[in-house]
Amino acid sequence: MTDTTVSQRRFLGIPGNTWTLILLGLGAVLTTIDFVLAFFYTPLVVGAQVAETRIINGIAVSNQLLFSQKIFYFHVPVAIGSFLIFFFTAYYGVRFLMTKQKKYDTRARIATEVTLLFVILTLITGDIWTRFEWGVWWVWEPRLTTYFIMTLLVVAYFVLRSSIEDEERRATYAAVFGIIAFLDAPISFAITRLIPSSVHPVVLRSGGGLTGMQLLAFLLGLFGMLMLAWVVYQVRLREELARERIEGLKAALEG
Amino acid sequence: MDPILSEIYRNVINAVPYVLAAYALLWLGLFGYISFVLRRLGGLEKQISVLESAMARRDAAAK
Repeated sequence: MTDTTVSQRRFLGIPGNTWTLILLGLGAVLTTIDFVLAFFYTPLVVGAQVAETRIINGIAVSNQLLFSQKIFYFHVPVAIGSFLIFFFTAYYGVRFLMTKQKKYDTRARIATEVTLLFVILTLITGDIWTRFEWGVWWVWEPRLTTYFIMTLLVVAYFVLRSSIEDEERRATYAAVFGIIAFLDAPISFAITRLIPSSVHPVVLRSGGGLTGMQLLAFLLGLFGMLMLAWVVYQVRLREELARERIEGLKAALEG
Repeated sequence: MDPILSEIYRNVINAVPYVLAAYALLWLGLFGYISFVLRRLGGLEKQISVLESAMARRDAAAK
């Protein structure tokens, strides 16, 4: 049975290829609007108190203004994206174990590749923020530690795959590993609700955390980033399936 | 500049280039990767087209 990609299916009458382009464009627009709102419209967050008060634009200011906090508007969407994509590693791992169909192993591997990309972007942007707001490149606080563990697990997934030659065994072990590795994602997301941290305060909560403009910028960035994550996954999947199709055609021509 | 104002804006002045660099890195990373994969995909789809033509010619010759 041939593996159909989203490019061959239609949703609301629109082919999958076209959806990929639409979501790529929408994702670019939303993340751009997020950038503009973050830089020009969201208020600056305050830091340490200064010795005296000054009036700036008619407002009394007695704390440092933290520009580095603006990284929040794309760092957090990228991080949330990495958790959500990693979920698909586990999901397709389960599907593979249930059906033993190669297509689910392919999808799990690609989901993990995209997770790795988003994890790297999260760590780099988070490090820049940590450096400028707290003066250090890294602290071993709960969220960062559990996220670092998740990074190691994502890398280990590929190390495991490359160490097993037999295709079915590799897929089975990778599926099991992917399911177990994903367990760190909800732990990393929820850890700051269990162990409070000044580096990662809980802002996504009811009754406060983000003001109207901050929330708007954040949500636009989040939806834009999730669209881009889906696009990255889909183009990689199309590439893999194209490679498989080429191998099949070559075998058929030689046969 | 007033030392208190310097202290208030210290993080702003130091952080702007790095925050902009972080945004640029993110966009370059994402869109660069997408463009790279789409280019590779274009090459693969051309190969598929060539192979499918060869298959069709072979099937026509076999008939």
